[in-house]
Amino acid sequence: MLQVSRLATIGEMAAGVAHELNQPLTAIANYAQACDRLLGRPGADLEDVRKALREIADQAVRAGEILRRLRSLARSQPMKRERTDINVIIEQIRDLVLADARVHRAYAKLELAPGLPSVSIDAVQLQHVILNLVRNGLEASSITASDPRELRLGTGLSTDGDVEIMICDNGPGLSAQALERLFDPFFSTKAEGTGLGLAISNTVVRAHGGSLGHRPNLPHGACFYIRLPAEPAGG
Amino acid sequence: MSTKKSHPIVFVVDDDESVRSSLGFLLKSMGLNHQAFAAAGDFLAAYDPAQHGCLVLDVRMPGMSGIELQQQLNLRGAIIPVIFITGHGDIPMAVEAMQHGAHEFLEKPFRDQDLIDRIQHALAKDAKTRAALEEHDRIRARLASLTPREREVLALMVQGKPNKIMAYELDVSQRTLEIHRARVMEKSGAASLAELVRMTMDVSTST
Repeated sequence: MLQVSRLATIGEMAAGVAHELNQPLTAIANYAQACDRLLGRPGADLEDVRKALREIADQAVRAGEILRRLRSLARSQPMKRERTDINVIIEQIRDLVLADARVHRAYAKLELAPGLPSVSIDAVQLQHVILNLVRNGLEASSITASDPRELRLGTGLSTDGDVEIMICDNGPGLSAQALERLFDPFFSTKAEGTGLGLAISNTVVRAHGGSLGHRPNLPHGACFYIRLPAEPAGG
Repeated sequence: MSTKKSHPIVFVVDDDESVRSSLGFLLKSMGLNHQAFAAAGDFLAAYDPAQHGCLVLDVRMPGMSGIELQQQLNLRGAIIPVIFITGHGDIPMAVEAMQHGAHEFLEKPFRDQDLIDRIQHALAKDAKTRAALEEHDRIRARLASLTPREREVLALMVQGKPNKIMAYELDVSQRTLEIHRARVMEKSGAASLAELVRMTMDVSTST
């Protein structure tokens, strides 16, 4: 079931990725055509041309990274837990989060707390859960008329010493009805929702010995948080 | 001052840094003056209606979108031609922009020749619109210099009424009417009655 949902999410993400890929491709085309024009003139400034060529290379690498991240997300593997820095796995999906935010015309803010203890997780599964919560948050932010739409993705340490990942939106928040059935499979407030996203996310987080919770965001919206047990220092 | 503003600038609004700077670089290689903005609001704040030019605008941006900026410009009665650049899957937005009078579209990535063609087309349109508006202002100023009586004569003249009828309707002598009529032609600068009709129609349709 996780597999099905992951592929569905990837399908949705693909639209965002295609849009995001267009940016470096556009930059590459622009720089290359400008070089062509510059070199067609007598006394062309080679320093300008060199600068543009470097930009072309950078943008090609950027395009490759966007694809690589999509591929790693699509790879299916049995749960494979490794000692990981949560901020590192979030950095790996940064582009996807920003691309999805762009599609939803929202501002995404990443607030990663430094120096957090390690966690033992299956990075791909956790990334899937985070992206799912990000997507939910972006869709919620798109409902309210208040601009600007905002999504915060942050990490920190809970009062119990757990590593915490927070995903906060400024949408309308959770209704009483939604609160009651939040993690029920096939319950969805979205017209096209499968009702599996939060249910699976909850299962995945629990399998990691963690918990998935939520609280209202102020002045409106919802914050979802994933708490994962910290690994003992050293080792 | 006005000579400087009549030197056209290609404005670029795109939130993506790499697209923005590559576009600037390309425009520079084409020998075009340009000015780039990362956000629609920044452009709007700096927008000077007297500056000749055109706008190359990304449809999809966080915050104020390209479409919203176009609507803001429309509300302000701005005449700056807009060339939209759209990314993958932005067709519905492009259609919406078209309905609001978008000038041109380019899908990213694009050929430089397509860009330069559209820019030249847009700049020509901007120049033409400005020239027409200036001409209207000149005509309006000339017509504003007419006395109330001369304006009455003008209204009758453009209806094609003969002097005799006009004199009767305004209860003046034919001689007096001819003097008014000559004044109207002189002040408006129209060479013929046909031109006078065209002038008054131009001015009344542009308001």
